Amino acid sequence: MLLSDRVTGVGVATLGAFAVYGGLQQPGVPGQDVGPSVFPTVIGLGLLLCGALVALGVGRGFEAPAEAAGAEGPNTVHPSPPRFGELRALLPPVLLVFYVLAVDRLGFLLTAGLIALALSLALGARPRLALPIAVLAPPFIHIVFNGLLRVPLPEGLLAAPW
Amino acid sequence: MAHSTRRGLAGLATAALAHSATLRQAQAQARYPSRPLQMIVPWGAGGGTDATARIVAALLEKELKQPVNVVNRTGGSGVVGHAAIASAQPDGYTIGIITVEIAMMHWQGLTELTYANYTPLGLVNRDAPGIQVSSASPYKDITALAEAIKASPPGRLKASGTGQGGIWHLALVGWLQAMGLKPDHVRWVPSNGAAPGMQDLVAGGVDIVPCSIPEARAMIDAGRARSLAIMAPARDPQFPDIPTLKETIGVDYSTAVWRGIGAPLRLPAEQAATLTAALKRVYESAEYKDFMRSRGFGMDWADGAGFRSVMAETDKAMGEAMRAAGLAKT
Amino acid sequence: MKDILEGFALVAQFDVLLAILASAVYGLVVGSLPGLSATMATALLVPVTFYLSPIAAVATIITASAMAIFSGDIPGCLLRIPGTPASAAYTDEAYAMTRKGQAELALGTGLWFSALGGIAGTLSLVVMAPLLAELALNFSSFEYFWLAALGLMCATLVARSSPVKAIASMLGGLLVSCVGMENPAGAPRFVFGITDLLGGIEPLPALVGVFAVSEVMRAMAAAEPPPLPRRRFGPIMAGQWELTKRYQKPMWRGNVVGIIIGVLPGAGADMAAWVSYAMSKRFSKEPEKFGTGHPEGLVEAGASNNASLASGWVPSLLFGVPGDTITAIAIGVLYMKGLNPGPTLFTERASSMYALYIIFALANIIMIPLGIVMIRLAAGVLRAPRAAVMPVVLLLCAIGSYATGNNLFSVLLVAGFGVLGYGMERCGYPVAALVLGIVMGSMFEQTFVTSLIKSDGSILPFFERPVSAVLAAITLGALLWPLGVWAWRRFARSSGSRKARQLVG
Repeated sequence: MLLSDRVTGVGVATLGAFAVYGGLQQPGVPGQDVGPSVFPTVIGLGLLLCGALVALGVGRGFEAPAEAAGAEGPNTVHPSPPRFGELRALLPPVLLVFYVLAVDRLGFLLTAGLIALALSLALGARPRLALPIAVLAPPFIHIVFNGLLRVPLPEGLLAAPW
Repeated sequence: MAHSTRRGLAGLATAALAHSATLRQAQAQARYPSRPLQMIVPWGAGGGTDATARIVAALLEKELKQPVNVVNRTGGSGVVGHAAIASAQPDGYTIGIITVEIAMMHWQGLTELTYANYTPLGLVNRDAPGIQVSSASPYKDITALAEAIKASPPGRLKASGTGQGGIWHLALVGWLQAMGLKPDHVRWVPSNGAAPGMQDLVAGGVDIVPCSIPEARAMIDAGRARSLAIMAPARDPQFPDIPTLKETIGVDYSTAVWRGIGAPLRLPAEQAATLTAALKRVYESAEYKDFMRSRGFGMDWADGAGFRSVMAETDKAMGEAMRAAGLAKT
Repeated sequence: MKDILEGFALVAQFDVLLAILASAVYGLVVGSLPGLSATMATALLVPVTFYLSPIAAVATIITASAMAIFSGDIPGCLLRIPGTPASAAYTDEAYAMTRKGQAELALGTGLWFSALGGIAGTLSLVVMAPLLAELALNFSSFEYFWLAALGLMCATLVARSSPVKAIASMLGGLLVSCVGMENPAGAPRFVFGITDLLGGIEPLPALVGVFAVSEVMRAMAAAEPPPLPRRRFGPIMAGQWELTKRYQKPMWRGNVVGIIIGVLPGAGADMAAWVSYAMSKRFSKEPEKFGTGHPEGLVEAGASNNASLASGWVPSLLFGVPGDTITAIAIGVLYMKGLNPGPTLFTERASSMYALYIIFALANIIMIPLGIVMIRLAAGVLRAPRAAVMPVVLLLCAIGSYATGNNLFSVLLVAGFGVLGYGMERCGYPVAALVLGIVMGSMFEQTFVTSLIKSDGSILPFFERPVSAVLAAITLGALLWPLGVWAWRRFARSSGSRKARQLVG
């Protein structure tokens, strides 16, 4: 468990409060009695209630079997997780943001190659594995999407030779 | 891709860069168009706008002897794609299909964009809304319906067909106002488009659906709905049995959705002329006519200047209707 | 009879058969790529249909969508990344089977019961199309409201976690669906001045984010898991007959529920899978096994989502009202090819209709051999090192979400939902419930608000109409059920602990 139920419960309740506030800010719409504010407000109230219940630990009884049989399985003989595990986990979304920022300038092939290389190395691949993936995967995806599905992918610095 | 070292990749990159740069310069001096064009569609694949854009693109390709690639740029209820057309390079290689929403979105304060942000190239389609009722409805013709609307207390009758403030909602508002009634005399039930609206009409949930006739056609053919009148200046040659509002109840009100091809501002006049001429030949081709007839879409042509005035008129009318309905922000 | 023979003749053309085969392979590949849904597979086919004969054009859409819905199960089962939203309901179950070393059984179940469901759906289309269409036309927003509410109730039944957290996740999904102006009021909500948010948040980027990206994130944070025991991938269809006999009732229930949900415009394969999986658990003799790698739910939900696909064509063909996003695209193609929807299609062009039926059946039959090949190819993923698979998955996430609208903003959404999904998972909040909320949210609000507008603010019609009264009773029952269980457990535990205390004291 990354954070205790107390913390996430408060988080959920805060989100609910935000939804109620945001909902109440909505102006009415002429010709509709149920305006755009009702739905977010009701959801927000629901979230507030759920957050409070989670923080108080209600319903945890149902959770115990789920964890024992979780998809990852219990931590039996796993080697210890890598250091800075939680921070390392942020690498994939950061790489996606990098993709958004760079793809128009660098082009699809270069950006995708860099992302594949970085992620592969971060997952502990040796260059012997990481480099071929970085070089082969982007052109393959490019052929499928740009060639067959006609999705326009930016050329950038390195145009696809086909 | 035999090079797998970094140096090889970099070398390849530089070579490709140099290659494409010289190629572009050479092409720029050649006669227009010398490379593929892109046509931006602000709506998703599979819809009516997408289908229209694709047939126009396919025929334009034959006229210009260059590929015309259709790109769906969706998002933001059409705002994203319309913005992408307006902000593209005005080099004649990016054009787009502009829909009636451009005359509505800015009134709602959703975008700064208006029709004035485009170089209009040609109007290719226009559809007027029909006034549909369920075949189980007691109103057999438009006169009976108009009388019933006038006689009913405000809010009793319900209509549907688009979201709140959508094009068919505004058509209803305009029609009610033209009859001297309040814009919310008939209550609007928002729906996710015309097809669910028509379904609700047949299920008995609403009384009127003012959507375009091609959108209502399947239900009409199935004998589940009737089209009583069309909000157009003249009858539609494809549906000659449906009378206009003017000839039946004497209300001179017309509106329409339209689709046209546009480009960013500051497009060189020469290229605009080439494109408009090509579009006109596309519009007059037998393939285009066949396609539009099979979908039941209304044929209407206007060149650049004509398209601009259509947009300006619609913009004004929509602004008035939206202010009346209390939907305009600006 | 003559029409049926003519229908066969229409299908037995070289170009039609080739189109079926090619679009089958295409649908299998696209559906199995994480981030690409069955809807997208069909949307990307539209330009291709321009160059095909009418029957071949419709054949590509039918075949590709059926294949894509099935093959969405493949990455879900092997990597815990559902390929399409319709697979999201039972992804955890299928993945749990893979971890138990039963990947072939899980995938075979998906394949076999998808094909059976598809054939059942086709039969319903042939035999009962007018009847089903009548049913669909009698559904107004009141009935849809209860249906949407019922769908949302599945959140607590599907998840193997605290029902409070499941409901919180589902409400979070509903809140996400509030974003944008695609709500009944047409008012831009929670857009924070970002144009891209005006159209709202599509379920697809959310799905890709919370399942696929968060899976890559988990791979980053955890050490390489011990490789699955190296062994030959066993026969895929083995044991399916056994399952068919043992789970006959769930299978039929899945087929029927899928057909009914499919025929209702606006509710498609996604919802069919959710409802069927939840029903399967609810009525199972061994509900405690659900979530631990138990095939029963896969049987019912796998049959259901493919059955819904065929019956979804009923309102589209008869009235031009799309049953789901796939048929919405298909209607466009039908018009373009002059096969205008309407009852005349069934009478005047009966041979074309029979051709469509035959294509439906054919697509579900060739699904089995092609699916086996596809599963065998995809199984290589299980043996490939994580460092090779995950980069490709991440790239597909980026491209897949970009491809539908050619909009980079959805890539950012995917990244954001990845972080959210990862965090939720680590804190015990089920992400599947979040996706359910996003999928059902707009229908829930839309039907609620429009019903109230139509009834002039009265809530009586929600209970008065016969169908809606039945649906209301089921929904309220499903709502009160977990509360009852909770209260009972609470009572049992507190009385148990009191007894314990008395013993100690």
